[in-house]
Amino acid sequence: MPIYTLEAGQVVQGIKSKEFSAEEYISQLFERIEKVEPKVNAFVTLNKEEGLDRARRLDKKIRDGEQSGPLAGVALSIKDNICTKGMKTTCSSKMLESYIPAYDATVIKRLMAAGAIIIGKANLDEFAMGSTTEFSRHGPTRNPWDISRVSGGSSGGSAASVAALECAASLGSDTGGSVRCPASFCSVVGLKPTYGLVSRFGLVSYANSLEQIGPVGRTVSDVVSILNVIAGFDENDHTTTNSSKPTYSLQERKGLRVGLIKEFTEGADPGVSKMIYKAAETLEKQGCKCEEVSLPSVQYALASYYTIATAEASSNLARYDNIRYGFDMNPEGYEWNSYFARARSNFGDEAKRRIIVGSYVLSSGYYGKYYLKAHQVRSLLKREMETLFKKYDVLIGPTMPILPFKIGERIDDPLKMYLVDIDTVVANLTGMPAISVPAGFADGLPVGLQIMADQFAEQTMLDVAYLFEQAAKVQRSPEL
Amino acid sequence: MATTTKIGLEIHCQLTGAKSKLFCRCSSDYRGKAPNANICPICAGLPGTLPLLNQKTVEFAAMITLALGCKFPDEIAFYRKNYFYPDLPKNFQLTQYNAYGITSIGVDGRLEYGNGKDARIRRVQLEEDPGRLVYASGSMDTSLYVLIDYNRAGVPLVEIVTEPDFADTKDVRMFLDKITSIIEHLGVCDTKLEGSVRCDANVSVDGGNKVEIKNISSFADVEKALRYEITRQRTMTSREIQVRSETRHWDDARKVTKESRTKEEEQDYRYFPEPDIPLVMLGSEFVSFIKQSMPELPDTRKERFMSKYGLSAHIAQVLIGNKELADFFESTLMIYLSPKEIANWIVTDLMSFIDERQKKEEEEEEHSLFAGLKVGPEHIADLARLVDQDMINRATAKQILGQIIRTGEMPSALAKRMHASRIDDVSVLAQTVQSVFQMEQAAVQDARRNANVANFLLGKVMKITKGKADPKVALEMIQKKLKED
Amino acid sequence: MVVTREEVKHIGWLAKLEMSDAELQRYTTQIEEIINYLNKLDTIPLEQVKPIAIKKKFSELRKDSPENFEDAVLGTGYRKDGFVKGPRMV
Ligand SMILES: [Zn+2]
Repeated sequence: MPIYTLEAGQVVQGIKSKEFSAEEYISQLFERIEKVEPKVNAFVTLNKEEGLDRARRLDKKIRDGEQSGPLAGVALSIKDNICTKGMKTTCSSKMLESYIPAYDATVIKRLMAAGAIIIGKANLDEFAMGSTTEFSRHGPTRNPWDISRVSGGSSGGSAASVAALECAASLGSDTGGSVRCPASFCSVVGLKPTYGLVSRFGLVSYANSLEQIGPVGRTVSDVVSILNVIAGFDENDHTTTNSSKPTYSLQERKGLRVGLIKEFTEGADPGVSKMIYKAAETLEKQGCKCEEVSLPSVQYALASYYTIATAEASSNLARYDNIRYGFDMNPEGYEWNSYFARARSNFGDEAKRRIIVGSYVLSSGYYGKYYLKAHQVRSLLKREMETLFKKYDVLIGPTMPILPFKIGERIDDPLKMYLVDIDTVVANLTGMPAISVPAGFADGLPVGLQIMADQFAEQTMLDVAYLFEQAAKVQRSPEL
Repeated sequence: MATTTKIGLEIHCQLTGAKSKLFCRCSSDYRGKAPNANICPICAGLPGTLPLLNQKTVEFAAMITLALGCKFPDEIAFYRKNYFYPDLPKNFQLTQYNAYGITSIGVDGRLEYGNGKDARIRRVQLEEDPGRLVYASGSMDTSLYVLIDYNRAGVPLVEIVTEPDFADTKDVRMFLDKITSIIEHLGVCDTKLEGSVRCDANVSVDGGNKVEIKNISSFADVEKALRYEITRQRTMTSREIQVRSETRHWDDARKVTKESRTKEEEQDYRYFPEPDIPLVMLGSEFVSFIKQSMPELPDTRKERFMSKYGLSAHIAQVLIGNKELADFFESTLMIYLSPKEIANWIVTDLMSFIDERQKKEEEEEEHSLFAGLKVGPEHIADLARLVDQDMINRATAKQILGQIIRTGEMPSALAKRMHASRIDDVSVLAQTVQSVFQMEQAAVQDARRNANVANFLLGKVMKITKGKADPKVALEMIQKKLKED
Repeated sequence: MVVTREEVKHIGWLAKLEMSDAELQRYTTQIEEIINYLNKLDTIPLEQVKPIAIKKKFSELRKDSPENFEDAVLGTGYRKDGFVKGPRMV
């Protein structure tokens, strides 16, 4: 088997035991990328020279018997809305087409210190606003299982690059499902941590109060090893939790109580629900106790999500006025209002729509009608979830209510596009952790099982995910 | 016809006592630095950065809150005020806002500012200063572009908002003096730094519409702007023209208020809570911590000056009206304890020199009180001691002060020199004058015709006495003698 | 009509987004549809619930010690004497 197919854990093992060198591994990966990238389009920027250079330096370290870190040599793609010092970070937007950050995101610093190798920046919907990666200036990322279909989004490049064996794992960001949705569509594992577990310093903000950076991998184990590196308090992000650094492990646990959210399965395509019921059966066979549960306030979840996300986004995106950084457009001679409006007309359609909706819901007289109510829904949902978590260790349901659809199918109907986020936004609104693990295939297309847990109960969530993964043995990467 | 005027103030003071900016680690001291040399990814609004609230600024704002008799909420929050402007790196300003529940650091205060008058304080809040715009070819209208310096962006500001409780500009002046003294005493703001204190005002006359005046860059201009605006509104009212509710800008150069280009009414700031800054829980522990760390305030200091040193209310008020003066007073006492004498020297004599110097200066400049005067507490202590011990009389002491303020010499040294040198004995001086008259008979003849020649004779007297004669006394003697013979 | 063309135009001005007539037309239709959907929030009775919020103690705030940021921060080439060039302020 070629070494580019190895999981992160196996890569670290192989390099440390000198079974193969980091340089060999990274070179092989770039060959793989060259081969499949024309079909998948997962990358925005490749970091070949520096990646190989880091690999060589790692090999030397290992020859010299030095410490090499828990992710030594592991090749990662990084969603292109996470700042990498000296490496373009475009957010797949014209507004940042030539933007080179002056600093590394905290997660990047931690990954590099752990020995990981960043091989490139992954495609996304512009500023992470989308569920398909079609709203990218660099073109859509295609689903490796069927390249006529969407990869999901907005971290489409992250999930597709992992599924297409272009890297071992990836970092995405999840504001309303942006890690879990493409993980589900591409049949890989994607995790959204509890709000405040992972630093957002260096993550280009879309909706600050909802989003978290999360790992994508081909196995639960790989996702855990990355989470263990990136999680924990950061003095540069005051929303991170000031507690001791957590370490997660893979544990075999029996007798866990599982609640199956009926609103999720009822609202899903029959093919999807069928797979989720099957997944529940699998868990029962492993000794879990499954029951159907209800989450009534979920009917307001999407309206709440799109109110808060667009409100925050409209303000976050205000800084892109092309004065301090951006694309080449000489300000001389322009009246300032018209310069700003002209420069900002270079946002893509979806970004502009969300700026307008967000400005609308915040505008004078509407605050109580939308924004306050949206926050009330967050609290209601959290209350309902907390009640459920008194009885159940985890809640499960489909990650996505539908199967990956054709590229272009929903692009002209914004509302129809928003509706696919119905099952994922709950975790973002409540701040609770959620993971998508491959559940199997319906009509030959991937279905993801979503597992949610109470705040900071990642370990329990991972226990169930691991249990299911070991039992279900779902295929992780397609022929390309 | 009697008219009523209502004035409210919005005061901005930079927390220059804090070392770093409000939300990042850049220095809060941006003055005199090369353009854009005092910035980082956070204050320059780069993508992916998050605000990191400076603990010290919360402490300082809380001290101001207490000093102005305001109440604390349980938790404070920050809001985004969304509007575009080229000096705003994020195109929103982080500030505080009370429309959806009280979350600004202070509300509902009251401050007595003199003559038994007081003003209600609506709120105290923390917010960030924007960057600075410079017009390349001098004027806003002719420049093809504007030059932007972000060094000031993110500098911590405290905004103090009053109710419209002032009836005239004199009250406003007194109130601003009091605020100045308070923030100086708290050590949170060096008000002498250019642009460190600014003030917006709102005025209505005879129950008419309220007009906001913005862009007043110093406290000194507030009175001027208000006087202009009150006259403008009264003139309109007397002609039965309705005053429009609007925002006007103070034109510093022409000393008038002007209509603003963008109508405030068209703005919609779309306030919402900043998600990246946690709510900061205050609680009783915090309040008692702030109470403990409060330095002495001007009012308490005044009382102490009166009770401990026996100063009159007037003298004590003058001293505490300016922290530098009060500090000078107390430093002098550390050297020589004669409070009343020293207070008098400072309040009457020293102040007259200060006033004189300040008149000569450009009025906008707010220097240190003692700038250019070579006098310190040790000088005044020395001077007071000389007078107390009857070494010199008050008139001589004043003369000495007039000299040492320029030279920096110690008064006792100067007094000693004057003393040793002075030929006070009139008979000795008369002898010398007599001998000069004998030696210079031709000149004496000339001097009788031409009064100026008397100075030649004086020169001779001074030369013989090696300058020890009091020239004034000697000249009088020469003139008398010229008339006698 | 829930959302008018004029409203969208005004928001375009507030948010500094230049829009052609065709864009304005298209966005108005799409945004009306979205706002209509969000209006379901208005059917929930307003209730006092504990808002989700991150809270910190005063002691957890950033300590006031200044640090210089050494690397270049600004990405624009339109500079003069260290200043950044911006558009006209008329
Ligand atoms: Zn800074």
